[in-house]
Amino acid sequence: MIISTNWLSDYIAHGLSDDELSDHLTMCGLEVESVDRIGNDLEGVVIGHVLSAEKHPNADRLSVCKVDVGEDAPLNIVCGAPNVAAGQKVAVATVGTTLHLPSRDNPEERVPVTMKKAKIRGEVSQGMICAEDELGLSGAHDGILVLDDAAEIGRPFAAYLAEQGTSTTDTAIDIAITPNRPDAISHLGIARDVSALTNKEICRPAVAIPDAGGSVSQEMSVVIEAEDMCHRFVGIMVKGVEIKESPAWMKQRLIAIGLRPRNVIVDITNYVMYECGQPLHAYDADTLADNKIVVRKAEGGSTFTTLDSKERTLPDDALMIWDGQRAIGIAGIMGGENTEVTENTTNVFIEAAWFDPSSIRRSAKALSLQTDASYRFERGVDAEGQAWAAKRAADLMVELAGGSLVDGMIDEHPVPYEAPVIGLRSHRVIDVVGAEIASDEMARLLTAIGFGVRDSASDAFTWDVTVPSFRPDVEREIDLIEEVARLFGYDNIPEPTHSRIPNFTPGIAVDRQLRERLRDLLSGVGFRETYTNSMLPLETAERFNDAALPGGRFGGGVVETLNPITTEMAALRPSLLPGLLRVAGHNQNHGQQAVRLFEFGRVHTKRATNRTLVGDYTETETLMLLTSGQWAGQHWQHDVRDADLFDLKGVVDRVFSALGLDAPRYKDREASDLVAWGVDILSGKRWMGSLVRVSDAIADEFSLRNDGLVAELDFTALAEAAGATILPRFTPISRSPTVERDLAVVVDAAQPAGPMLEAIRRSGGDLLKDVSVFDLYEGEHVGEGRKSLAFGLRLGADRTLRDKDVDKVIARVVSSLEKEFDAKLRG
Amino acid sequence: MDQTSQPGAAAAHQALEDLKADIEGAVLDTADAIDAYRIRYLSRKQGQITALMKRIPEVAPEDRKAFGQAINAAKQTVEERLEAATAALAGSAATSAAPADLTLPGRLQPEGSLHPITQAQRLITRVFENYGFDVAEGPEIEDDWHNFSALNFPPDHPARDMQDTFFIEDAEQDHGGILLRTHTSPVQIRVMEEVMKDGEPPIRVIVPGRVYRNEAISYKSYCLFHQVEGLYVDEGVTMADLKQILHAFARTLFGEDVRMRFRPSFFPFTEPSAEVDIWWKDENLPGGGRWMEILGCGMVDPNVLEGVGIDSEKYTGYAFGMGIERIAMLRFGIDDIRILYENDVRFLEQFS
Repeated sequence: MIISTNWLSDYIAHGLSDDELSDHLTMCGLEVESVDRIGNDLEGVVIGHVLSAEKHPNADRLSVCKVDVGEDAPLNIVCGAPNVAAGQKVAVATVGTTLHLPSRDNPEERVPVTMKKAKIRGEVSQGMICAEDELGLSGAHDGILVLDDAAEIGRPFAAYLAEQGTSTTDTAIDIAITPNRPDAISHLGIARDVSALTNKEICRPAVAIPDAGGSVSQEMSVVIEAEDMCHRFVGIMVKGVEIKESPAWMKQRLIAIGLRPRNVIVDITNYVMYECGQPLHAYDADTLADNKIVVRKAEGGSTFTTLDSKERTLPDDALMIWDGQRAIGIAGIMGGENTEVTENTTNVFIEAAWFDPSSIRRSAKALSLQTDASYRFERGVDAEGQAWAAKRAADLMVELAGGSLVDGMIDEHPVPYEAPVIGLRSHRVIDVVGAEIASDEMARLLTAIGFGVRDSASDAFTWDVTVPSFRPDVEREIDLIEEVARLFGYDNIPEPTHSRIPNFTPGIAVDRQLRERLRDLLSGVGFRETYTNSMLPLETAERFNDAALPGGRFGGGVVETLNPITTEMAALRPSLLPGLLRVAGHNQNHGQQAVRLFEFGRVHTKRATNRTLVGDYTETETLMLLTSGQWAGQHWQHDVRDADLFDLKGVVDRVFSALGLDAPRYKDREASDLVAWGVDILSGKRWMGSLVRVSDAIADEFSLRNDGLVAELDFTALAEAAGATILPRFTPISRSPTVERDLAVVVDAAQPAGPMLEAIRRSGGDLLKDVSVFDLYEGEHVGEGRKSLAFGLRLGADRTLRDKDVDKVIARVVSSLEKEFDAKLRG
Repeated sequence: MDQTSQPGAAAAHQALEDLKADIEGAVLDTADAIDAYRIRYLSRKQGQITALMKRIPEVAPEDRKAFGQAINAAKQTVEERLEAATAALAGSAATSAAPADLTLPGRLQPEGSLHPITQAQRLITRVFENYGFDVAEGPEIEDDWHNFSALNFPPDHPARDMQDTFFIEDAEQDHGGILLRTHTSPVQIRVMEEVMKDGEPPIRVIVPGRVYRNEAISYKSYCLFHQVEGLYVDEGVTMADLKQILHAFARTLFGEDVRMRFRPSFFPFTEPSAEVDIWWKDENLPGGGRWMEILGCGMVDPNVLEGVGIDSEKYTGYAFGMGIERIAMLRFGIDDIRILYENDVRFLEQFS
């Protein structure tokens, strides 16, 4: 909400500069978001006397004037206004003055222009005689502003205006009002806090509230049927108003706080709302059928045209205002077109009501219609502020729109306000805040913002605090403690010199430790960590909800949000793959030859599983690795080489060893729309992820310039498997030497090596410590359709192995290879 | 003199002198040369020293002793030279194998990096872990209860508008709706529920994690970001304790002389609530800087404690939450949040 400091000054002479005021407001919980100086100090604009005004010799519409501004010689000024005449007192912008003039393209916008001595159609002009809009006083540009004859020649114009009670400058302070401060959504509300902080009195405009009844109750009747939703309805009538523009001062204030002036009646209702926080509505009284107003709920599904000429479908239970025949307004949100004040209106009926906050909020949400009124009602307006506001508006209408007040006031008040009384224990304040605030000080602070404080009859350390009607948010002792703390000043709470740390044992957080370990590992081996968006287009999410990847493996549907920002972000990612592919494509198209990326992130699927925490959704964490393009870059000693699957496989192996897990097993998997080829990654029997080259179609779609090699690992499963191994266990180092043996066998060329390695490990038994593949050969020496694989075996035990032991193992291994894979030992 | 005039004697003496000269003069700069030298002089079968020994009888008897000693001296010279040459060769092996150009670039290990969000998160969590906080995590898809209701957001209350929410399932009669969590605070509830199953406070935990907001994307806001949440519930916890821990945090991240201020604010789940600003020096600004909000905090609302079965008269607590991106942007001087999610390598490599 924006407040004008000029306007605020009507209610409190706080004596603070704009900056001091902003600081005070911010530090009492009314956060100032911006401070804008508006208007122009009009330095250089002085009062002049038009000595003569002759028609311009070369232009029909211009006049050449001699203007006395109190200097030795009169100024020569060319003026285009039709109303300029000799003898007038006018405001003259002298050479060097900067004014903010309405832009030619957009009159709402102002651009700074500095006056220069110029020749206009051959005549010298030494300044400008100003119109109201040029001075920022109003939008009027019908002619120059003519001042009264008493104005003193040569006097600064700003000083003249100040005498008239008008300021040419103002400051607009934008305050972020938190939902717990319905009392502060008005100038008087802000003034109340300023008063408490500065110990200066508030000066409210004097309003004589009439007694209920009187003539108005003969002219209009009000019936509240929905009493639970409308606790009070006040009505006042003003007759014979003239619908015209508001006076300049009011327009200036409304513009300063960001409102657009309409006509004097509508402007007054807005003005009073921003003055005291009570929304008002003005009906054209002659349009109200049967001179009657009824407050009752809408018939759900019916339509209603609001005063912005939009037809709206009403939600169930929306509270409406009716006249004798039809709906005339959505209560607390917006009035109807059928009864609004128009240029033909002469009699006005002013409504000031208290509506139930939840009901207003539900309707406003359902209608997607938030107005200044609904904003205040849904936070809770002053339960006792209606009569003051209605009468204040009526007084202004009498004064500014030439109306006459119909005596009396309608005041339907089915649910009277009862002020809550809350006990406040002074020691509890100290227990929560941690500062020794004197008990009397607490009482003083609360009293300053309108709370009633008296000693409790029951307890010497307790105050009975009466909550004022404008603080519906205060319901409990803790709410009072907050008020005391806020006004005492958080900055005045002393910090203890020592920190208390409870004697308890923090948990281990295994997942987190392992994640951080892998982050270090992967960044250490040349991978860059990324963070990508969790939200994707639905179509992309569905395509990557693939059984080759951990998320898709759950077999559930894609999770969609009901209210996405755009269709580009309609679904939650089932895999980190699309995000990383996009990053890879982006970087390859920005000159990166080597792309090595990893990301940790949650993926989502709609299906209940044993990992489900909420609803029917499974959320799991995966680790994605991607490499594309160069693995080894340009170097003087070796050649450039693109990454291949085995590069990434080596990294996956490192991930497993860093987690303390045995080396993973790899199993071929089938091609799919997503996968050109690749393998499943298994730890023992458990599926942990896959390692694949993405299909060419996918690579093209994401603008990859090289093969996309990716591995997505089910990190949740990995962490679970690794959890037991997080603490390494020492095994004694064998003092005996190990023995190395090589074994070359010839097998069918199509025979994969993986199962053979597994067979060797299995048949090798305990003595076999390690096995590797050190050579692969296909060619004339082994015959057509065959290949030779050479394995290096390392054997060891906690004793020195004899040849006999070693030979036995080798024989077992060879026999197993022969049997299972039709392998022939190479000579 | 007769003896010296023996015909073989002069030749033997001459052979000794030649041998000595050869022994002194031979060039021993390679392993092969050294081997050949050893064989030429010391070999038992063909060595010249052995051969010369055999010629002692040719020398006059009275000279034989001196002749023998001279041969031994020569032999000693051979051995000394062999030793020196072997040592010299070993010492010069590296030198002789030196690459022609030592200024050529080395074989580079590829450079990796941790994302600045991870780096900022580590900075933040490390501070609180040092102060004895546990670390917990929770789900990103949450229910209305944990994200709102249990945190004292009443239904139909404007406080719910403070956090624009992505909904996944609307509220129905049997459950309260499912959504993407808008903050990490629901994990407070999960942690307290867990503790209260079979225990009591103290609870002292921080919660890092990803959260979602349905807001227009701009340089200062993204549809998701990361938070670190903190919660301490115990007997006798006060707002003064909260100020102290957060001041300690700010000093660690922003320097010993950091200026910070607590200003009143509103969050449904804390009361009193505050926002914390630090003074950000910037000589280009009037006043030499400005206040920058870094986190929100407050004393845990009694409704929240009671909602999970904690006696709010006996226990009090504080909670705080901060945006990791915001801290990262402040610390690293990043002015557009979107660049964090673009992952351009030219950006990432600045954090290597």
